[in-house]
Amino acid sequence: MENEHRLTRIFAVKTTNRAERSVADNIDKAVRDADNDIRVMSVIVPDELKGYVLVETDEPIARVQELMEHVPSARTVLPGVTTLEEVGHYLIPKPAVSGIDEGTIVELINGPFKGEKAVVKRVDASKEEITVELYESVLPIPITVRGDHVRVIDRGEDDS
Amino acid sequence: MASAKKKQHMVCRDCHRVVEGTSCSICGTSNLTADWTGYLVIIDPEHSEVARRMNITLPGRYALKVR
Repeated sequence: MENEHRLTRIFAVKTTNRAERSVADNIDKAVRDADNDIRVMSVIVPDELKGYVLVETDEPIARVQELMEHVPSARTVLPGVTTLEEVGHYLIPKPAVSGIDEGTIVELINGPFKGEKAVVKRVDASKEEITVELYESVLPIPITVRGDHVRVIDRGEDDS
Repeated sequence: MASAKKKQHMVCRDCHRVVEGTSCSICGTSNLTADWTGYLVIIDPEHSEVARRMNITLPGRYALKVR
């Protein structure tokens, strides 16, 4: 039984932009189709990997290509196979505040202060929130925002 | 004309399953959230290494990260 599990391989399928989830649903539908005998075990759609879905199967690439012909918005199967060891990190997404520390300079990319630059004053890893102070503001008012609502500009590593 | 607004699916906070309706059909809980990212479709959990690693035993659609 252990060997059976080891036989699965993972192919990357290029999709139309922003259609990753619908491609995954359509692969599911195509696999469950009565006149289909191509086996797919799972489809992974990592948020970090735009324009691709990862298909776990025990079929060769030609069969996966054949299946994708019946899947709307699926474009091409990338040549080459990968394994779960290589893509396993996508299954455990990193916290949104990883790489952000006190003193990091960020740009707010969402919310009422969108486009403003700010310096990080506090990081709450459990809530995935950060507290920042805006550069432009005359009074240093702390604002708490979600970790995925900022883009890191400068990590402030030049403290010699 | 179809509605321009895309339907936002809800995810069960306990089992990470993407659910239709107001409660999770597996857990029975109504502890749902629309704040999730990453998507995983499990078709054949018995033979899937991904399902094994994620401790998933039922086929279906799951979120990878739920806030």
